[in-house]
Amino acid sequence: MKRLIPIDIETNLNRIPLLSGFFNAVSKLTLFVLRFFKEALKPPYEFSELAKQSYQVGNRSFALIAITAFIMGLVLTIQSRPVLAEFGATSWLPSMVAVSIVREIGPVITAVIFAGKVGSGIGAELASMKVTEQIDAMEVSGINPFKYVVVTRVIATTLMLPVLVAFADAVALYGSYFGANLKEVVSFHLFFSEVFGKLDFSDVFPAFIKTFFFGFSIGIISCYTGYNAGNGTEGVGKAANAAVVFGSLLVFLVDMIAVQITSLFT
Amino acid sequence: MKKETGNKIGLGIFVSVGLALFIVGIYFIGQRQQLFRNTFQLSAIFKDVSGLQPGNNVRFSGINVGVVSNITQITDTSVRVDMQIDEHTRRFIKKDARANIGSDGLMGNKLVVIAPGTDNQSIVKDNDFIATVSPINMDDVIAKLKTMGDNASNITSDLAVITKNIRNGKGTVGMLFTDTVFARNLGVTVVNVKQGAQGFNRNMNAASKSFLLRGLLKKKDKDDKKDEKKDEKKTNN
Repeated sequence: MKRLIPIDIETNLNRIPLLSGFFNAVSKLTLFVLRFFKEALKPPYEFSELAKQSYQVGNRSFALIAITAFIMGLVLTIQSRPVLAEFGATSWLPSMVAVSIVREIGPVITAVIFAGKVGSGIGAELASMKVTEQIDAMEVSGINPFKYVVVTRVIATTLMLPVLVAFADAVALYGSYFGANLKEVVSFHLFFSEVFGKLDFSDVFPAFIKTFFFGFSIGIISCYTGYNAGNGTEGVGKAANAAVVFGSLLVFLVDMIAVQITSLFT
Repeated sequence: MKKETGNKIGLGIFVSVGLALFIVGIYFIGQRQQLFRNTFQLSAIFKDVSGLQPGNNVRFSGINVGVVSNITQITDTSVRVDMQIDEHTRRFIKKDARANIGSDGLMGNKLVVIAPGTDNQSIVKDNDFIATVSPINMDDVIAKLKTMGDNASNITSDLAVITKNIRNGKGTVGMLFTDTVFARNLGVTVVNVKQGAQGFNRNMNAASKSFLLRGLLKKKDKDDKKDEKKDEKKTNN
């Protein structure tokens, strides 16, 4: 049987290096994701390494995320205030800020910063392990490097990002309370009863669920770029850079899909 | 090894506090929706719910006491609204309480306002229905405003005709304003009336001094004074 059409597509694609490179990367990434699930479900499980990685990506990112979240809440409140004051609706400030933080800004900004800090770290770490042939050494000594290095890191980012987002939301709301009190006096109790008065489960749960996907996307893309890094020190830099760029991009793509799905049900 | 244990404890604290924050948030949101409280159901049937939605608040005496749990269309002119209301407020809601649809401020959400019933009525039961007051329909208000506007325009056009007539000296009032002869005659009449009244006064004074009428007038004065005293007593009592 003649295989005219597939060969044609392949040869034509090879003439456009950018496009063929893209499809090549997509297929490799898909295989990488499939391999992740295969390895993640198969015992033995590396719980100790998972705990270590979770500490690295969770606890170590807390300070950065908390500071950013506080400023985010504060700035959002100060910036929204004049617009609401025009309508004489400054009493709506807490609820408006709460909805925007919990639904969108909290998860997305946290994920982007997480991609910047953790994604680049994982990308660079895995790339240097690859370049210095540590991954090959693991294989020789009977340890499954994919399971030990990739699976633990991806699970750690997937599980830790939602926790960080919970912290970020809380700190951002506190920052917003602080911001509201710069111009007027609002009691803590009144502010937070306004906040929880407006929030609904349909605001919290979709936002919380999408953070798992953000975490997974950042973890898998960082590991992929690191694990497939080119040779030499240049490869390490490229891998770290690609991890941040594609990690952040993927966060926004996942967010777009998540918003579409959420709006279908609400 | 020590460092690793410390890290694990740090991780444990981190995750626990994060989850606790999440759960506290969920609890506060749930509390608003009366999820973790004892509630009972009240229903009411409205003609028009004016955009009320499940999840909107229910107010009684200005306090949020529950939420709208369900809205279902029964017939083409009736909509059933089910409300979950805090058990603690049940003893204040009487059988003849009335539900109305209001709104929270000018731009705020719709809400159900329950007006309290009378004291001698019994307390509502679970799954009871209460009477409703039809909400004010903006279309009706606009229609009424239109009639008012039409009437106002009729009145102003009549007024315009009247003022025009006055200015042109038509009619009695117009003549008063514009006709100088009429005005002078009116002035002369007033002077005549004044003079007549003075003459009458003089005559009455003379009459009161004549012996024929003196007795009669004195008696009349006494009667008047008595009546005055009676009135004073009445007002004091």
